[in-house]
Amino acid sequence: MEVFETRLPGVGVRYEFHTESGEPIGVVVRRDGVREVALFDADDPDRCKASVSVGPADAAVLVDLLGGSKLTERLADLRQEVEGLAIEWITLPAVGGLAGRTIGDGRIRTDTGASVVAVVRGGTSHPGPGPEFRLEAGDKVLVMGSDDAVELAGARLAG
Amino acid sequence: MIAAGASGDVLLELGVVLLVLAVVGRAAGRIGIPSVPLYLLAGLAMGEGGLVPLNASDDFIRVGADVGVVLLLLLLGLEYNAEELRDGLKGNWKAGVVDFVTGAVPGAVAGLLLGWGATATVVLAGVTYISSSGIIAKLLGDLDRIANRETPVVLSILVIEDLAMAAFLPVLGVLLAGIGLVEGTLTVGAALAAVVIALAVSIRWGAHVSRAVAARTQEVLLLTLLGLTLLVAGLAERLQVSSAVGAFLIGVAISGRVAESGRELLEPLRDVFGGLFFVFFGLQIDPATLPPVLLAAVALGVASTIGKLMTGWWAAGRAGVGPRGRWRAGLSLVARGEFSIVIGGLGVAAGLNADLGSLTAAYVLVMAVVGSLLMRFADDLPLPPFLARRSTR
Repeated sequence: MEVFETRLPGVGVRYEFHTESGEPIGVVVRRDGVREVALFDADDPDRCKASVSVGPADAAVLVDLLGGSKLTERLADLRQEVEGLAIEWITLPAVGGLAGRTIGDGRIRTDTGASVVAVVRGGTSHPGPGPEFRLEAGDKVLVMGSDDAVELAGARLAG
Repeated sequence: MIAAGASGDVLLELGVVLLVLAVVGRAAGRIGIPSVPLYLLAGLAMGEGGLVPLNASDDFIRVGADVGVVLLLLLLGLEYNAEELRDGLKGNWKAGVVDFVTGAVPGAVAGLLLGWGATATVVLAGVTYISSSGIIAKLLGDLDRIANRETPVVLSILVIEDLAMAAFLPVLGVLLAGIGLVEGTLTVGAALAAVVIALAVSIRWGAHVSRAVAARTQEVLLLTLLGLTLLVAGLAERLQVSSAVGAFLIGVAISGRVAESGRELLEPLRDVFGGLFFVFFGLQIDPATLPPVLLAAVALGVASTIGKLMTGWWAAGRAGVGPRGRWRAGLSLVARGEFSIVIGGLGVAAGLNADLGSLTAAYVLVMAVVGSLLMRFADDLPLPPFLARRSTR
């Protein structure tokens, strides 16, 4: 899907894309981080007919709801329950890191103590992947453990 | 006057001026028009030949007005970073040229018709050229049009105008100083080089500049920013480059978080001193000189409004915006305000032409109000039939 990006000098950046049904949706990201989600008038497609201001915290909720996955939310709960638990999403680079190799190859658990909890690839999630699971470029890998362990694992995964 | 100390008089009159500004500002907010024209009116009412003339404290207001111009331009510069200026110029310079021609020609022609000298004509061309970024940016937000598809076009044109002003003011400074051709060319060349260098520096080393200015407490940041800006503005003025341009460039060079907090800190100061600036401009003009130039101001207003409508229509059309949006873009560019007064004020300070100040004041009074009304009711104003016909073909 194509997203058009235009600078708004002095304000921020304006993004626009058309939904699959052909309706335009605009998002203005202001410099202070506030986003505005805009809908347009059918008769005058250049005119924003309604917009909602979305703060950084609101945006996280919105993403969560639109993403259809409650994973992030559950993780946040988990993090509150276990003190000192670090959880991080790591995206594999196109080249390098563990792209094209298995989790076992990376010896993540053995060397760093962190666990790979899930892998999300192109919208489908693979919870609890085994050591034989082969990673690909662009995979989002969810790693959990102590702060240091997660950092080490991240360095190994992303190369 | 009671024989109190002179400083007491200054405080008294300053207090009166600021309170008057507060009252008219409130009124402006209530009726939904920008405050600049009302500040001007307040200045006219308090000046010579006005309703309640002020006596002393001219000096203080004069200094305040100078600081006001510097702060207006500093905050304008802080709004933008150098990349935005560069990209804006790259992508929209054609629209900028159209805008310049359609905006400046009415003023230039009027200056010639009135038989004014070359310099006064150039000033008037500047007055009619430059739209009010202050009024327009505020209204775009208030009217919820930031997300509109024509808005990037409108903002880019404003950016180019502001950059053009940075080049225009030094040229005007040289003309006003009346220095010889060779020396004048050198000064203008040096000024333009300074503009280009400042932009290049802020693209390259903007982060360093911002880091050098950054401070742990707001107090120190405020003092640093203000001190640096006044220093550079003063130096620029000495070199005949115009203090306003110096301030603008400082603003451009600073970006990121420092710019963000600088804006927050300086905005209230700008409102105070900017208010004094508009009052001071009004003070210098005898209200009795306004009615004779009113007709000229309206004619100038009509001509330059048509110019901005053409610019907006054309530029938004190039960006693929539909007819209603193109119409809105044109209507959004009409408002004139603070920068017309900045340019006109330079001419008045140099004592160019007795009518220059009056015509500028009348023109801005009309165009600030008309421009913001056109913008507000842009969606209710029907598209002129000939434009509607052209765009359906």
